[in-house]
Amino acid sequence: MKKWLVRGIVVGVLAALGFWGWRVFFPSPEEMIRKRLSEVAKAASSSSKEGLLVKALNASALGEFFTLDVQITIDVPGTQHTINGRDELMQAVVGARSEGGSLSIEFPDIKVAVSPDGDSAVVNLTAKAKVSRPQETYFQELRVRMTRIKRDWLINQVETVKTLS
Amino acid sequence: MGTNTEAARPPSWLQRVIIGRDPRRTLVRLVVLVTVSFVVFKFVLVPVHVDGGSMLPTYKANGVNFVNRLSYLFHEPRRGDVVAIGLQAGEHVMYMKRIVGLPGETVAFHKGRLFINGKPLAEPYVKLPCDWEHEPEQVVRDQYYVVGDNREMSWEDHTHGRAARGRIMGKVLL
Repeated sequence: MKKWLVRGIVVGVLAALGFWGWRVFFPSPEEMIRKRLSEVAKAASSSSKEGLLVKALNASALGEFFTLDVQITIDVPGTQHTINGRDELMQAVVGARSEGGSLSIEFPDIKVAVSPDGDSAVVNLTAKAKVSRPQETYFQELRVRMTRIKRDWLINQVETVKTLS
Repeated sequence: MGTNTEAARPPSWLQRVIIGRDPRRTLVRLVVLVTVSFVVFKFVLVPVHVDGGSMLPTYKANGVNFVNRLSYLFHEPRRGDVVAIGLQAGEHVMYMKRIVGLPGETVAFHKGRLFINGKPLAEPYVKLPCDWEHEPEQVVRDQYYVVGDNREMSWEDHTHGRAARGRIMGKVLL
């Protein structure tokens, strides 16, 4: 009886390890997108202590998450603006970072819908932005369209969503 | 004939404090407590951290509150209720607003005063000065007009408007 119990536990542990390994080495598109977006949030955040060179390098690292023809549409009360293309986005990011202060970006909620062919996805997410000057926290709902290029998921469209109509 | 002194020895005071006289009963109590807490705080009284000042002075920023998710089980939301409004992507972030307009009504602001169907509404919870101007807006079926108590903020900076009934997660408890 004891022998069978030990065997059962060993089989259970091996099955759990196998499942965990499978998830790590062969993640689903949704998991890849979630991981990608957490990297985007990290790259989009900046500290006031960063030097100009570091800021430029980080901004260029952020650009790698977007397609060349990315379109970003911001439509919030008081601001309506569209960014067309990665170059324009990079200019906007560098400009915003040169103003100083720190910025912390998080995506507390992410809802992913992958297309049936597995090559594109629509992501609804809540963005949380903490700025230091003036010290304030902002929340914004975003709809992000992502495209799969080889093994990478790149952002090709971002638009703000109005929570209240 | 021997005696089992180990079995007869009462548990030490430290053991009694930590795991009680009967460890099995303590374990059952612990499991029940954890299960009940999980169900209550996940599905009934959801704890929330209040961030931002749009509900000032009624609710201060950085406070803690609870959302009663069962409050609208037997009746629809009412005017004056402070509610939590869920966002599309999930429930980690919710808006906390007051219902001022009901389905079928028109909502307008003139010289900072709120007008429902053309009549001014007394709002004792609004303590800060306001100069908002907004044309009458129709609230359609299954929608509620929500706004914060802090009308000192500019119209553009203040999140307000029509929320679908399905987005109202519950009533703020305290």
